[in-house]
Amino acid sequence: MKKISLLHLKENEKAKIAAIDSSHNLEKRLMHMGLYKGKEIAKLSHIGLRGPVVVKIGRSILALGHNVSSKIIVEK
Amino acid sequence: MLKKIFLIGNPNVGKSVVFSRLTGVQVISSNYPGTTVEITKGYLKLDKDKIEVVDLPGTYSLEPTSSAEEVAVSLLKESRKEESAVINIIDSTNLERNLLLTLQLIEEGFSVIVCMNMCDDAGHRGVHIDASKLEQLLNVPVIPTCAVTGSGIKLLIQRIKDAAPVSRSKLTHEDRWLEIGKIVEQVQRLEHRHHNLREILEDASVRHLTGLLMASGVIYAAFKFVRFIGEGIINNVTEPIFLNFYQSILGKMTAHWQEKGFWFHLLIGDLINGRIDFKQSLGVLTTAPYIEFGMVLPYVISFYFILSLLEDIGYLPRLAILLDNILHRLGLHGYAVIPVLLGFGCNVPGILSTRVLESKRERFIASTIISIGVPCVPLQAMIFGLLGKFGGFYVAGVYLVLFSLILILGIILNKTLTGYSPEFLLEIPPYRFPPLAMLGKKIYFRIKGFLIEALPVVLLGILFINILLYFKLFDFVTGIFAPIINGLFGLPKEAVVALAIGFLRKDVAVGMLMPLNLGASQLFIAATLLAISFPCVATFVVLAKELGIKSLIKATSIMVLISIIVGSLLHFIILR
Repeated sequence: MKKISLLHLKENEKAKIAAIDSSHNLEKRLMHMGLYKGKEIAKLSHIGLRGPVVVKIGRSILALGHNVSSKIIVEK
Repeated sequence: MLKKIFLIGNPNVGKSVVFSRLTGVQVISSNYPGTTVEITKGYLKLDKDKIEVVDLPGTYSLEPTSSAEEVAVSLLKESRKEESAVINIIDSTNLERNLLLTLQLIEEGFSVIVCMNMCDDAGHRGVHIDASKLEQLLNVPVIPTCAVTGSGIKLLIQRIKDAAPVSRSKLTHEDRWLEIGKIVEQVQRLEHRHHNLREILEDASVRHLTGLLMASGVIYAAFKFVRFIGEGIINNVTEPIFLNFYQSILGKMTAHWQEKGFWFHLLIGDLINGRIDFKQSLGVLTTAPYIEFGMVLPYVISFYFILSLLEDIGYLPRLAILLDNILHRLGLHGYAVIPVLLGFGCNVPGILSTRVLESKRERFIASTIISIGVPCVPLQAMIFGLLGKFGGFYVAGVYLVLFSLILILGIILNKTLTGYSPEFLLEIPPYRFPPLAMLGKKIYFRIKGFLIEALPVVLLGILFINILLYFKLFDFVTGIFAPIINGLFGLPKEAVVALAIGFLRKDVAVGMLMPLNLGASQLFIAATLLAISFPCVATFVVLAKELGIKSLIKATSIMVLISIIVGSLLHFIILR
């Protein structure tokens, strides 16, 4: 299993969340939106020039800012 | 004894639509998270009792992480549990995520009733939920509804009395998600289907290349449509009514008016070549209604038609994704695009909706940018009306100046203000197509709001101006500011009056420029200055309320400074 940040996951690839390397508040917010350790996600796209990453979790589509995405570690 | 009903749910599940259905109070609803930033109250009649219904801003959980969530949660927690019921509205197309809040509410001991909204849309997407099974597992009433059409609402009202606290052990978030997974497995059946056009478009609009292509297309088409519809109404409806019908009525009235004194000046204004000229006479019965109904209202209608359509379809959050990288450099994040777009209609709702942004710093930057660089529809309509005849070049010029100003101002504010910009985290709703009646209602609601707010100010404003003009009270003020206006900006000294009236209303202010017969370049400078300088008094009040006096003074100083710099620069570049 390889651990990388969400930024480095390729578009259209699936992975499992391994860790959220961030402040408690952000982790809590992500948790409330259904994004937590062990959850499977699919990366839809990454907008250039340090734009957000768009992911699909269950039936939701979430846009995560560049900074947020760099703190989400996934394994595939 | 039931006294209060709270509506609570995740952002963008249709709480406001359910609220309107229950209370009959019309509120704005859209297809993006954070439409409701204020708490709205209404009343529901239940077996002769009048029960207060409170529509709360959306929240993902009972542990708030943003200011809007905090408002919702604290209000709920302060209430007396034995006197209130909680209608938890959930989005059937996304059951799993919504159930976190549902379980929390039940665990906390509230009397919960679950309103499973958007059932029709779930069906279209191949999501089938067994409501009675869910009711059994949760042990609280579960009612499938479709609030936009109204189906299921009657049953929801009937079953409010069944809501009662049930015991459920408190879980940690991890365990709660596990529990939810088990529940969803038992009640939800997904039909496997191929992607349809809607899903393909949803997908394309969040990808880099296709997203940008779609965004350019949408923005271009939106602008074209606003102009097309606006011009269409002016040419085919308002202009004929004013010129063929209203003019002749007024003409008959004035023909019998012997002495053209004070009252004539007030109501009709000056006759141009012996005739009433709606653009130049400046009377309460002539120019005032012409500005509001003949020039501004058509664009208000067309703008809100297009904006409401984009809102309800759910396109705006997709625009937010694409603009996030640019807006980050201005100290904002993608979602700021919503307050900015609303600001193009009227700065007041734009600034109010900056509440969707989390930090004070972001709200300051967004509010300042809106009040300086974003012209409202009435102002834009007047700019089209006046500058348009000199060619699209000048109109585009005003937008270009304002757009550059937003960028420069944002970058400077971002560099100089302390603090940081919080993270961008946004749920992207699916595309939805609301019934036309809903869309029509929303547009009607907004136009009515515009007329109620604008009309008295315009009529009284023109009356007031006319009294001042009649007694030549403006001469004193124009005398003082003439050197600045004339020397720095290259405008005739009478333009002082227009700029001063910009504080009252921007459309009237541009209207005051009409009798001055300015050239294209002078009009261009005056219109740009009106857009940048002091916001109208309504915006000023909202700014003071939202930002506080200290920040208001800061924003105002920036405004005055920028107006002087931009006005002088434009004068220097164009007129010399």
